[in-house]
Amino acid sequence: MATNLNPRTYRIVGTQRQIDERETPHPRADRGELGERIRLGRKNRHSSDALRRTIVANRDIVKERAVNPQRTPVSDPAAMARTIKEAARFFGAAVVGITHLDQAYVYSHRAKDDGNGNKAGDPIKLTHKYAICMGFAGDFERYMACNSMISAAEYEMGHRQEMLGTSLLATFIRELGYPAQTHGHGGYVLNPIPLAVNAGLGELGRHGMLIHEEYGSRLHLSVVTTDLPLAVDEPVDMGVEEVCKVCMKCAQTCPTYSIPFGDKVVVNGVEKWAIDVDSCYKGRITAGGEFMVCLICTTSCCYHKRSSWWHTLAGWMLIRIPIPLRTLYIKPLLFLDDLIWGKKPWLQMQWMGYDNAPSPVTCSIPGCIAKHKPLEQKPLHKVPKKTIK
Amino acid sequence: MTHVITGACIGAKHKELSCTEICPMNCIHGTASDEIFYIDPEECIDCGACVPACPREAIFPEGKVPEKWQGFVQINADYFKNKK
Repeated sequence: MATNLNPRTYRIVGTQRQIDERETPHPRADRGELGERIRLGRKNRHSSDALRRTIVANRDIVKERAVNPQRTPVSDPAAMARTIKEAARFFGAAVVGITHLDQAYVYSHRAKDDGNGNKAGDPIKLTHKYAICMGFAGDFERYMACNSMISAAEYEMGHRQEMLGTSLLATFIRELGYPAQTHGHGGYVLNPIPLAVNAGLGELGRHGMLIHEEYGSRLHLSVVTTDLPLAVDEPVDMGVEEVCKVCMKCAQTCPTYSIPFGDKVVVNGVEKWAIDVDSCYKGRITAGGEFMVCLICTTSCCYHKRSSWWHTLAGWMLIRIPIPLRTLYIKPLLFLDDLIWGKKPWLQMQWMGYDNAPSPVTCSIPGCIAKHKPLEQKPLHKVPKKTIK
Repeated sequence: MTHVITGACIGAKHKELSCTEICPMNCIHGTASDEIFYIDPEECIDCGACVPACPREAIFPEGKVPEKWQGFVQINADYFKNKK
């Protein structure tokens, strides 16, 4: 036992006994020792307020609560949209936007049972009118430890935070008296990326992910679909179209060569930069010898920066430059980006006993002379000459 | 599907290690006494990163190997039998 503690705010002047938990207020209230009114008040989980019910009453956040039959009337969808966005931020979202639920981005059939009676292979019917799109931001530094236990921990923790916030927002909407469905980690029946673009959270990058002007691509996206009347947002212009045309850092650094250097192509009726999903996924699942998250494209993106005035200023200026002139502004910035952050941004760090220093590759073939390297030390892919503009 | 190193690699292997360096799966192997490098078909994820990295244009997707190099599909696969 420590004997030399000398805190300034309390002083030990005698012998201490350990406190019995039963002496603390909650158990005493439960036993009725603080009076009947307090005992009943302690049991009461009902509230006249939807937010209070969401936070306090709904301890089991994963369970989908029933819709409150007492519907809160909505006379001003714009005001309700502001309330919902503030609630989403309160529940942990870094960014939030609202768009109409475009059925083109709802999956046609389920891949797995959902635990609510819907089986794998069942057609999906999602008729909600609105999609509230949220982005939960990851930590800049831990993402920079990409392809390591540190970045993997950050990435998976982001899923946990996203599940909590998304579930709470859906619960809040149900408590307002409107149906709501969560679409987050482990339970998407839609593609959140195009919906997030439509909701104005950012733009679609060359690497196939959403790029937000402040957080880059270190956002876990989730969606709550609902019929709650809401004002919708518009897509934004952040200059990603011009930046991705000339930057190509993600394409150069992607270990599995999954990000295209070339122009956009038409996929399923949509013209966009299209990544090779299979090689990305296979590399991610097996390249580290176990399930891992690569994140190299996320951290190499020139939008992946700490929140700072110079990063904000660079983006602020970009969208104020006429589109035909933007490349003239972007190229010097990309030169500086390479100079300061490197062609392949990566930070070596120690955290919680982990060290993300690359481990040498062991080869199982006797006498092999190949230059095996860990992903962090792989050379950059060369930009094909015909794509340099 | 996998990628395949063909006979165009013969004679170049010891000078050029670029394919082995860039392969994300580190699944291209060969010893000093081998004529070429070989891609392990079980490990290859078909990303194609090795294709532009090869100065000899010796690497092809399995389905696009030129007729004269077709035998190398089996040669690559056979190389790894009893080696792991």
